[in-house]
Amino acid sequence: MSVSIHINNLNYSYEQDKPVLKNISLDINPGEKFGIIGPMGSGKSTLLLHLNGILMVDGIVKIGDTVIEKKSLADIRRKVGLVFQNPDDQLFNPTVEEDIAFGPLNFGLNNEEVKARVSYALEAMNLSGFEKSLSHHLSMGERKRVALATVLALKPEVIALDEPFSSLDPPMMMQLINLINSFEATLVIVSQSLLPLIACCQRVALINKGKIIAVGPVKEIIKDDELMRSNGLDLSFYKKTFKEFF
Amino acid sequence: MKHSFIDKYSKLNSTVHRLDPRIKLLMTFLGIIIIVSEPPGKILPFAFYGVAVLILMLLSRIPLGFIIKRFLILSPFILMAALFFPVSLWLTNDEQIVNLQHPAFKVALSIFLKAGLSVILLILLISTDKFHNLLLGLRKLKMPKLIGVIAALMYRYVFILSDEALKTKRARESRTPGKLKVNKMKVFSNQMAMIFLRSWERSKIIYHSMLSRGFNGEFPVMQKLAMNRIDVVFFVCFLTAFLAVRFLITPLT
Repeated sequence: MSVSIHINNLNYSYEQDKPVLKNISLDINPGEKFGIIGPMGSGKSTLLLHLNGILMVDGIVKIGDTVIEKKSLADIRRKVGLVFQNPDDQLFNPTVEEDIAFGPLNFGLNNEEVKARVSYALEAMNLSGFEKSLSHHLSMGERKRVALATVLALKPEVIALDEPFSSLDPPMMMQLINLINSFEATLVIVSQSLLPLIACCQRVALINKGKIIAVGPVKEIIKDDELMRSNGLDLSFYKKTFKEFF
Repeated sequence: MKHSFIDKYSKLNSTVHRLDPRIKLLMTFLGIIIIVSEPPGKILPFAFYGVAVLILMLLSRIPLGFIIKRFLILSPFILMAALFFPVSLWLTNDEQIVNLQHPAFKVALSIFLKAGLSVILLILLISTDKFHNLLLGLRKLKMPKLIGVIAALMYRYVFILSDEALKTKRARESRTPGKLKVNKMKVFSNQMAMIFLRSWERSKIIYHSMLSRGFNGEFPVMQKLAMNRIDVVFFVCFLTAFLAVRFLITPLT
């Protein structure tokens, strides 16, 4: 079976001699919900930025059959939607409608098609009626949903989400988990919140200091106390607290 | 945090609000040009312009108090510009300008009226339409694209910047019992530098976000504007009134 994302021997450093990603190799299947976990500063978000060519690749990254390189960038950005952690970084147009239409218009869709995409994305995110709303007047939860809608409007094959569960109250988080589970696209989710990842993802990759430490079924990895503890994700406090309270 | 101070009355449904943004922009800019082109020292024509602007204000249904409050915020600058002429005359000449009947004060008053009416026209413009509609109107009137992009991003991020400023202010105040005891200038400049650094970091991420959705230097728009007969009639009446004052009434005064 062909893979949706193929990463081979990916390296990256922001400064010389300080590599952030080291020899990353990974295959993610079509339609898979894949999590990336790791301590702060481990290179998770940097890896995400490679998936649609924001950071140029030293190594090989393929989305479907398309290799990420300068000449394939337009195609790659149509295929991979990137949702940033802070919705204020994603929403730069005055109105919700304009923000959602921004991507489809850039990719040369005609007005009718763009309108249809905007309606589809708003409906999918339960935001119908928000077309003319101003982004800065929305709540954090609403802005998060609009940010996701801006990417859904592109109907991408792959959606990469950076910390989608941060700053959400429990009902909003539940709604987002249900939405993610309903998506047909391949999903790559970087998150520090492990509970929602367990609810969404089939597999996870544990990254520490720019290296992939383990890849496997989400429950297997997260249940491995020794593996998690030795890589900066000690969950014993949460487990103890949960046991006491529930 | 909620913000609404810029577009507080843009959702009203008055005759002026319903006008096409291009018409409002043209009316404002042509109106300002006509007012500013009045010869210095002429006062009477401003009464006619004032009546026209007052009619616009009443038609727009924007509370007069709101317009006056905004005008008062800007009035010190207008007053300074107006008084600049008699004061400079007084400083450079031996002539003693103590009499308010002196022509220099007449010129100062005409400058004040010109600037004041122009400011009120601008307040009316930005209060009777949403900012993005005005931007679209400017774009349709062939404003350079780059200026449009800068203005749109500025409008979007001015709120985020003010949030950042508020957050750093709260952080400072929460650790400041009473008055600041350390060097104030240092604290404020550090705060400004922090806001600048955060804005710079954020601008990089926003650019990434734009690139990831296919940005290639263009800001395409979907919305279309439609001008109707009422727009044209309103524009012709407004322009005719202003031109009549400028070229028929002014020479008689």
